Amino acid sequence: MDDSGFETLMTAHHGEIYRYLARATGRASDADDLSQETFIRAYRAYGALPPDANTRAWLFTIATNLSRNHFRAQKRRRLAYAAVSVTAGESDGADPEGEVLGREAGQFLQATVRRLPLKQRLAFLQRKIHGLEYDEIGRSLECSAESARAHVFQAMRKIRQALNGHALLETERTG
Amino acid sequence: MASRCAEIEIDLVASAMSEATPAASRRVEAHLERCGSCRDEFARYRVIDREVATMRSEPAIEDEIARAREALRARLADVRSRILRYRVFATPFGHVAIGHSEQGVALVEYLGRGSRLDVQRLRRVADVEVVEGGRELLAFQQELGEYFEGRRDRLPWPLDLRLARSDFHRRVLETAARIPYGGVISYKGLAQQLGRPSAVRAVAQALRWNPLPIVIPCHRVVGASGALVGYAGGATTRKRRLLSIEGVPLARIPHDYRVRREAMYVRAPGDAEYCLPTCPSVDPFPQGGVLFGSKARAEAAGYAPCTTCRPDLHPLVA
Repeated sequence: MDDSGFETLMTAHHGEIYRYLARATGRASDADDLSQETFIRAYRAYGALPPDANTRAWLFTIATNLSRNHFRAQKRRRLAYAAVSVTAGESDGADPEGEVLGREAGQFLQATVRRLPLKQRLAFLQRKIHGLEYDEIGRSLECSAESARAHVFQAMRKIRQALNGHALLETERTG
Repeated sequence: MASRCAEIEIDLVASAMSEATPAASRRVEAHLERCGSCRDEFARYRVIDREVATMRSEPAIEDEIARAREALRARLADVRSRILRYRVFATPFGHVAIGHSEQGVALVEYLGRGSRLDVQRLRRVADVEVVEGGRELLAFQQELGEYFEGRRDRLPWPLDLRLARSDFHRRVLETAARIPYGGVISYKGLAQQLGRPSAVRAVAQALRWNPLPIVIPCHRVVGASGALVGYAGGATTRKRRLLSIEGVPLARIPHDYRVRREAMYVRAPGDAEYCLPTCPSVDPFPQGGVLFGSKARAEAAGYAPCTTCRPDLHPLVA
């Protein structure tokens, strides 16, 4: 196998995949683990990848799958924990730090994105932050391009609702 | 109006994100001219869209990324050293799996009638990660194909013996790897070459578990009587075919085949020459000697004709 090809791929996309996972999970430790696992899996499968494959979208798909598994496992752990304690469950994948909302619009927005339902959050990040095509996003989430578009649309609506009354939206009235 | 606002909401959001089709954009524009509250809503979505765009450059985590990449490189080096990439090819000998590590070819396996490699079994033998390989394996397939067609007498591949089951097996395999094309040696002869003349059964076991058949030519090892004895699961059909490709003369015997030693040239252990089996200076079937089906093969293996029996001048009469 041409290992220099994989090296090039890693140099080109590691930072971006790390950022995607950091945004999706809201935790550096999760981004560390999941980005490492993404590239280890990619390395294992790289040899069998068709030469004309879109490696960037492929890496996003692996990272997205791992994120979903990660949150599923987290949810199972939380449910198991909740069964033996009276601790209130958090919403899916929410970061406790995210509960403390930043005053700045950017921080508020990031916290809002982190509280989006998982599929919407992953679709939103892939589309709006990383600029992937809807068919690529659909493949990563195992849904159609139209469903991927609907997830992004729902994410935008939720962000809009969360920002209701926020100063950010009150400054630009057209009248 | 409210119901129209609800109807146009998807197009409005898409339009604010600059993703609407031209037709949807026109519908939104027409609606916004008439509806003040949707105009406000559109402006809010535009603000959100702009604000989202600023998230692309955040957060500033270059140091974390650099640290994560270093950790990844370290783990990758470990994975890389354990990975075995394989592909299954259709050959005249049925499906054959070829696998290689970063050190060399580590696996050639006849899959019989199946076409699936038993990955779990390999993982029990060695600490390997067995994964599907890519186009880089096609060169091995091609060379193996040429070998099967008799158009190639060497598979000069870098080898990785990590699937050998013990150090002794590894030694046996390394010794067997040196048996020249078109030559045969007995199990006992190989044991002698290893300096373990009584370890004939252990040698046979090591060859039975040869992870690299064909490349490490265990098919060139035969019984003391010349009988083919056993090969890859007991059937000697493959062994017979491989030896035939190499020009080794064979004869049928009950339940098996044998190499026709009487019709082969002899190279005694330690000799730099090859002889007729009738040569007075050598034992016709010396233990540890190599027999060749033709002069060409003996000479290709680096041996000169004996100056006593002159196999270069006299025909071999069997």
